[in-house]
Order: sequence, then structure tokens, then C-alpha cells
Amino acid sequence: MRKIIALWVASVVLLSWLGYGQRDPNARCLLECHANPNLKREVAPGQFKSLYVDYDQFKASVHKDKLCIECHTDVTVIPHQRRPDQIHCLQCHYRGNVVGAPVSERPERYKESVHGKAVERGDPNAPDCKHCHTVHAVRAHTDPRSPVYRANIPKTCGSCHIEIYTEYLESVHGQALQKGVLEAAVCSDCHQEHDLFPPDDPRSSLHPQSVANTCARCHADVKIMERRGVPIKQVEAFKKSFHGIAIEFGVLKSANCISCHEYHKILSSRDPRSPIHPLNLAQTCGQCHPNASSNVARGRFHIIPSDPDAGIVFWVYEFYRWLIIVMTSFFILYIALDLYGRWRHAGRSSHG
Amino acid sequence: MAESVNEERLTQELRHELEQELDRPLDEAELQRVRELVRAQLRKELAAKRRREAATEEEYFVRFSRNFCLQHLVLAISVILLAITGLPIKFHDSAWAEFLFRHIWSLETNRLLHRVGASLLMLVAVWHIGWLMTREGRRDIRELLPRVKDFWDFVAHVKFMLGISAERPKFGRYSYSEKFEYWALVWGTAVMVLTGLMLWFHGIALAYFPKYIFDIALQAHSGEALLAILALITWHMYHAHFNPDVFPINMTIFTGKISKKRMIEEHPLEYEQIMRERAEAEQQ
Ligand code: HEC
Ligand code: HEC
Ligand code: HEC
Ligand code: HEC
Ligand code: HEC
Ligand code: HEC
Ligand code: HEC
Ligand code: HEC
Repeated sequence: MRKIIALWVASVVLLSWLGYGQRDPNARCLLECHANPNLKREVAPGQFKSLYVDYDQFKASVHKDKLCIECHTDVTVIPHQRRPDQIHCLQCHYRGNVVGAPVSERPERYKESVHGKAVERGDPNAPDCKHCHTVHAVRAHTDPRSPVYRANIPKTCGSCHIEIYTEYLESVHGQALQKGVLEAAVCSDCHQEHDLFPPDDPRSSLHPQSVANTCARCHADVKIMERRGVPIKQVEAFKKSFHGIAIEFGVLKSANCISCHEYHKILSSRDPRSPIHPLNLAQTCGQCHPNASSNVARGRFHIIPSDPDAGIVFWVYEFYRWLIIVMTSFFILYIALDLYGRWRHAGRSSHG
Repeated sequence: MAESVNEERLTQELRHELEQELDRPLDEAELQRVRELVRAQLRKELAAKRRREAATEEEYFVRFSRNFCLQHLVLAISVILLAITGLPIKFHDSAWAEFLFRHIWSLETNRLLHRVGASLLMLVAVWHIGWLMTREGRRDIRELLPRVKDFWDFVAHVKFMLGISAERPKFGRYSYSEKFEYWALVWGTAVMVLTGLMLWFHGIALAYFPKYIFDIALQAHSGEALLAILALITWHMYHAHFNPDVFPINMTIFTGKISKKRMIEEHPLEYEQIMRERAEAEQQ
């Protein structure tokens, strides 16, 4: 019995070795060591780091056609004579790489981001590429099994930013995402995934002057908002309001979307927990206008005067529009008439 | 020639009268004295007539007082300042507003200047109301009240301009167009000051007014402002500068003086009245 088992194991090993060997140049790495889930290295006394590579995952990843040694370029002989170098995804994913590793500007700018800086400082909790993308099981962001697939992003970020994650899940965006609405905002829509800067940095997508445009990517998009039944005029209305004008021209203490809506816990105005619920609005405006009373909740907030939805404001707008048209035409007509009259009379007196 | 004929005629008339009164013919010496008297009198009158003629040729009437001219000057400065700093807020999307706010002065400076302009405007408004209480002001406001005549003046003027009638309507101290402009200014200032104060002191106003009142105020403020600016650059500029009568500039509002020629042409009724008043004063 033991012999049979031993034979069976030996033949499996042999066959798989032959199988790998025939098809797969990665075979030696795997067979001898890295296919073993228990393979680990002692990084510090009592602390171990796994050196296991899940080959099935790897073969399903975007890098499936790469050889181990294409990334681990300093590995030339097995067993290694010295510990292989620490390598990094950016050794391929940079602009101008002839191998054709996809880049947007973003992975490169990761180095300047909050996270990149933290990694550089040696913050052990800060994410490098692998924390978001994994190392050997990297999948495209369009793949639903990828940790950077839209629906999975909050969880991926949330693995470190736990409180924010729980807050986010309660928001309209989080709730919608959980219901499978992929258009809802996830962390990286607001923060960017790679060029993620603190909000006081002018490059940040959440700098007070950029917030409106960040929300506008969805909230000014008719297709997305119509599908979700959310009105779309808010961004335009905001930009026309004094708050919006002030922000645009550098009065940063003015209000932007998140001053009134919160950011992670964005809620509908129908939700009593929301800062824009009529009952809470006085307090919300009160952050900056200490005298604000419940009066501020009377009247719709985001209005475009030229839009009939604006009610009485629309009529005031129309009144002045027509008054201006009529009066200015009258003035111009009158002046033309006066000049004509003068011309006539001048002509007559010079004849007579 | 005519003078010597005149002189001879007057002398003979006088002589005739004297002879009848004395009931005897005048002798040669007496006749000579009469002739001399007549000649002296005539010379005096002629000189007076010449002087009068010379005076009327360059005669000016004082149309506006110093005070009034100063009011206009401050008003003009404030309105120009308000327009320069208000338009870029209304047209904040435009390239020139962008340029102004990014390269010339910041939005904060702009707001400060706008409020300086607004303060000047309110100053003039208060000043003007005070001035209306004075004798001069009381007279002017009476002259400025709209009357039915103004409407018919307007109709008649249009007819005149079209050539339907040959006669220009006769205006008093303020023509219908000046009255219209004055009252438009009064109305516009009232709207702008009210809505402007509300936006300026929104911190306080937010406690008392609903949000939609602010939206209405903002619309009225920006609509009225545009209307006023368009009226100024068409109607007012035409009457004050580009009108062929006064081109290139009508200085009356700055100096307070108006020439007799324009006075007769533009304000004949006032002219007549002034003349009547002068005649009465002279008689007394
Ligand atoms: C697309 C490039 C890429 C390919 C292909 C790749 N690796 Fe890696 N591998 C990496 C990167 C990047 C790291 C470093 C991760 C880190 O920073 O911890 C890594 C780390 C490792 C480590 C851990 C090293 C240590 O010091 O912690 C092992 C073991 C490893 N790879 C084995 C393999 C094997 C075996 C294969 C072939 C089946 C393979 N790799 C293929 C990119 C790759
Ligand atoms: C040897 C150079 C190389 C290294 C190192 C490398 N990649 Fe790649 N990567 C590529 C190439 C080439 C592709 C394109 C594969 C294809 O489309 O077949 C790719 C594709 C990808 C994609 C898919 C992009 C898309 O839009 O489909 C992701 C995500 C990715 N890599 C992430 C990483 C991460 C994370 C690391 C580090 C753990 C890494 N790569 C390391 C060469 C590399
Ligand atoms: C904080 C998490 C995080 C880190 C760290 C991170 N990424 Fe990403 N990455 C993402 C997310 C999320 C997406 C998906 C973006 C999307 O949905 O458009 C993504 C997408 C990508 C893509 C594919 C699509 C694209 O935009 O080209 C590549 C390639 C990529 N990352 C490379 C990298 C590299 C290289 C690094 C390390 C320098 C890195 N990423 C670090 C979160 C991260
Ligand atoms: C591996 C853990 C980890 C993951 C995953 C991670 N972060 Fe972070 N993040 C950190 C750490 C640590 C910091 C603090 C950096 C520092 O000290 O400046 C940080 C900082 C930040 C900041 C700046 C905070 C501030 O105070 O300004 C933002 C924003 C942020 N992360 C967003 C994200 C988003 C969005 C994602 C997902 C795409 C994400 N993080 C994924 C660990 C992580
Ligand atoms: C709707 C846009 C939006 C979404 C979605 C979003 N954030 Fe934020 N996040 C913001 C804004 C805005 C700020 C604050 C900027 C500021 O302080 O001015 C912020 C701040 C942060 C900070 C800094 C700490 C703090 O609370 O100020 C972290 C960390 C962070 N977000 C992580 C996340 C993570 C993780 C997710 C996903 C679970 C996420 N955010 C989703 C908009 C968003
Ligand atoms: C990636 C796209 C996206 C971004 C970016 C985004 N949103 Fe949303 N937002 C949505 C979608 C989709 C919904 C509708 C959710 C649903 O179906 O309930 C929504 C809903 C909302 C609602 C509730 C509307 C309602 O009537 O229930 C508010 C408020 C809101 N978003 C504010 C913001 C603000 C503020 C920002 C910027 C900080 C922002 N969103 C950024 C996609 C986005
Ligand atoms: C983040 C701070 C902030 C918040 C929150 C805020 N505002 Fe403002 N608001 C400002 C600033 C700054 C100005 C510019 C005027 C000033 O400070 O003199 C302003 C100006 C205004 C004005 C006058 C200018 C105009 O033309 O509209 C109104 C009215 C106003 N806010 C109403 C509101 C209302 C109503 C809310 C609540 C829904 C609100 N604000 C919330 C900062 C804020
Ligand atoms: C000064 C405060 C303030 C600012 C700034 C602001 N909002 Fe709002 N927003 C409100 C209030 C109050 C409501 C409540 C609904 C109403 O009265 O129209 C609202 C409603 C909304 C709604 C409809 C959701 C609902 O539940 O009714 C959306 C979407 C929205 N805002 C998006 C934005 C976006 C995007 C921005 C930035 C471009 C922004 N808001 C800036 C105060 C603000």
C-alpha cells in the first residue's frame, strides 16, 4: 500500500515536472521551491515571510505570459547564490518602456502621492503597488476578481482606512455601490488611485478649487444621472452661485460641494441625518454664516435662474431679460430716429 | 445816414412840441440846444444797445448749481466704479473677467472696490435727498414731476423727427427724456441699494430672509445693473456726448453753464420764463 502511494506521488511529481518542463520555462522555480505553500524566509528572528507563489493565480493574471526571470532579472541560477534583489512594478510601468507595460501618467505619479511619500519614508502601513494590486495575481481593473475592480476598491482601501470605509458604506454612494450601481463614486473617483494628494495640495483632485470638477465628472454627466434619477444641474448652478465664483477666483474660505454635503457620508436631502436635510441646513450654513436660521431651508438650493424650475427667481430673471431687450431696443431706435430727424432738418435748411 | 435823419426828425418833433407849449417860435440858440440834447441822448442809447448786443452773443445761463454738479460728478464716479467691478462678477465665465481676476486684481479687491462704489452711491443718494429739501431742490423736484404734457411732448417730438410735423415741441426746464432718465435713476438706485445691502450684509440678512429672497435679490441686482449700464451707454451717452448738438462733450453738467443758443433751442419755455422774470425784476 505504501509503495503504491509512494509510486503515485512520485509519478505525479514526475508528470507534473515533465508537464511544466515541456510547456513552462517557469517550472524550475516552482517545482523546486515556490510552489510550496510552506516556503518561507526568516526576515527577523521569529518572523517569517512567505515565498510561496500561487501559480494558478499567476497564470490567470495580466502577467501570465511573463517569465519569473523577466521580472526577477537578477535570478540566473537556481538555487540562488544570494538573495534576489527587491524589485518594483515601476521598473516596467514607466513611460517610454519598450516592453509596452501599460502606463497612464498615474502610476508614475504614485511616487509623489501621499502613499508613495509614506512608503519612501518607510511607513510600514503605507500601500505600495502590491497592497492594492497584489504581486503575482495582478488583474486588470476591469476584471471583477481584481481588488481594484470598481466594486472592490472601497474594500481594498478600507483594509487600511477602516473607519472611513464604514462611514462610506452608509453614504448614498456606498449604498448604491452595494446595490450594484457601478457608476456610484468609489474612493478612487474622488481621490484618484495613484496621484493621490492631500487636499491642500493644488494638484489634488480634492483641492477646494477642484472638488466641483471632481463631482462634476458624474454629477454633470446626463447619462449617468438620468439613469439614477438624480438631477444634474447642481454643478452648473454651483458654479454660477457666488460661492462657486468665489472659489474659482481663489477665495478658498467660500463653500464648495463638500462644505455642505460632507464627503464620505454624503446623503440625500431626504435623509434626516444629512447635513442638507432642511432641519440641519441652518447648522450647515452656520459653519460660515453664524446668523443663519431655519430660513435658509426655504427655497430650493441649487437653482439656475434661466431654468423654469427656479420658480419665482426664473420670473424675475425673465422680467429683467425682457425689460433689457425692450428698453435697449427702444433707446437705439430713438437715437436712430433722432439722428434721422436732424439729418432731414439739416438737409432742408441748407436747401432753403 | 439813418441816424442823422432820425436826429433831424426827433429835433423837429421836439421843436414843434416846445413851440406849441411856449406859443412862440424857438430862436436859433434854443434850437441849437434842443439839437444837442437829442444828439447826446441818441448816442447814449446807441452805446447801450451795442453793449446789450455784445452781451447776448456770449450770454450763458446758469443751469445747475455747484452743488448739483458735484452730486453728478460723485454719482458718475461711483457708477463707473460699480460697473467696472460688477460686470466681471456677472460675466465671470468670460475671458476678460478671468483676465481681470487673475492678473489685475483679486476677487477680494474687486469686492472691496465694489463696496466703495456702493458707499459713494448711497452717499450721493442721501446727499441728493437732503438737497431736495433746499429751496433750489424743492423747485427742481417740482420741475421734474412727470406731467401729461411730457407724453404729448414725446409724441410731438417723434412726429417732428419723422418729419410729420415741422415744429419742435417746446420743453421746459426738464424735457421728457431728462425726466425719464431722472426717475429711471431714482428707481434703479433704490433697487440696487436695497438688493445690494442685502447681499453685502448677507451674514445678518440670512437670519431674517428665506433663501429664495436672496436669489431674487441677486437676479434683480444683476438685471437692473445691466439695464442701467446699457441705458447709460446708449441713451445717456448719446444725449451727453454723441448728440451732434453737443459733440464731443456736453460740459453743462460739469460747469453748470448753458449757452443761450442751446437754452433757446432745448429749453425754450424755461428761457421764456427766465426772460419774463428778469423783465419783472427790472421793472421794479
Ligand atoms: C510581473 C512581474 C513579476 C513576475 C512575472 C514574477 N514576479 Fe515575483 N515578484 C515581483 C515583485 C514586484 C515582487 C516584489 C514584491 C515586494 O515588494 O514584496 C516579487 C516578489 C517575489 C517573491 C518574494 C521575494 C521577497 O524577497 O519577498 C518571490 C518568491 C517571487 N516573487 C517569486 C516569483 C516566481 C516564482 C515567479 C514565476 C512564477 C515570479 N515571482 C514572477 C514581480 C514578479
Ligand atoms: C517585466 C515588466 C513588468 C513588471 C515588473 C510589471 N508589469 Fe504589469 N504589465 C507588464 C506588461 C507587459 C503588461 C501588459 C500585459 C498584457 O496586456 O498582456 C502589464 C499589465 C499590467 C496590468 C494590466 C493593465 C491593463 O490595463 O490591462 C496591471 C494592472 C499591471 N501590469 C500591474 C502591475 C503591478 C502591480 C506590478 C508590480 C507587482 C507590475 N505590473 C509589474 C509588464 C510588467
Ligand atoms: C492605493 C491603491 C493603489 C496603489 C498603491 C497602486 N494602485 Fe494601481 N490602481 C489602483 C486602482 C484602484 C486602479 C483602478 C483604476 C480604475 O478603476 O480606473 C489601478 C489601476 C492601475 C493600472 C491599470 C489601469 C491604468 O490606469 O493604467 C495600472 C497599470 C496600475 N494601477 C499600476 C500601478 C503601479 C505600477 C503601482 C505602483 C507604483 C500602483 N498601480 C499602485 C490602486 C492602486
Ligand atoms: C496598506 C494600507 C493602505 C491602503 C490599502 C490604502 N491606504 Fe491610504 N493611507 C495609508 C497610510 C498609512 C496613510 C498615511 C500616509 C501619511 O502618513 O502621510 C494613508 C493616507 C491616505 C490619505 C491621506 C490622508 C490625509 O491625512 O491627508 C488618503 C486620502 C488615502 N490614504 C486614501 C486612500 C485610498 C483612496 C485608498 C484606496 C485607493 C487607500 N488610501 C488605500 C494606508 C493605506
Ligand atoms: C465623494 C467623494 C469621496 C469618496 C467616494 C471618498 N472620499 Fe475620502 N475624502 C473625500 C474628501 C472630499 C476628503 C476631505 C478633503 C478635505 O479634507 O478637504 C476625503 C478625505 C479622506 C481621507 C483623509 C482623512 C479625513 O477624513 O479627512 C482619507 C484617508 C480618505 N478620504 C479615504 C477614503 C477612502 C478609503 C474612501 C473609500 C472607502 C474614500 N475616502 C471615499 C472625498 C471622498
Ligand atoms: C463616480 C461618479 C460620482 C462621483 C465622482 C460623485 N458622485 Fe454623487 N452620485 C453618483 C451616483 C451614481 C449617485 C446616485 C446614487 C443612487 O443611485 O442612489 C450619486 C448620488 C449623490 C447624491 C444624492 C442624490 C440624491 O438625490 O439622492 C449626492 C448629494 C451626491 N451624489 C453628491 C456628490 C458630491 C458632493 C460629490 C463630489 C464630492 C459626488 N457626489 C461625486 C455618482 C458620483
Ligand atoms: C464653507 C463656508 C460656507 C458655507 C458652508 C456656506 N457659505 Fe455662504 N458664503 C461663504 C463665503 C466665504 C461667502 C462670501 C461672502 C463673504 O464672506 O463676505 C458666502 C456668501 C454667501 C451669500 C451671499 C452672496 C451671494 O451672492 O449669494 C449667501 C446668500 C450665502 N453665502 C448663503 C449660504 C447658504 C444659504 C448656505 C448654506 C446652505 C451657505 N451660504 C453655506 C461661505 C460659506
Ligand atoms: C452652500 C451649500 C452647498 C454647496 C456648496 C453645494 N450644495 Fe448641493 N445641495 C445643497 C442643499 C441645501 C441641497 C438640498 C436640495 C435643494 O434644496 O436643492 C443640495 C442638493 C444637492 C443634490 C441633490 C441631492 C438631494 O438629495 O436633493 C446634489 C446631487 C448636489 N446638491 C450636488 C452638489 C454638488 C456636485 C456640489 C458642488 C459642485 C454641491 N452640491 C454644492 C447645498 C449645497
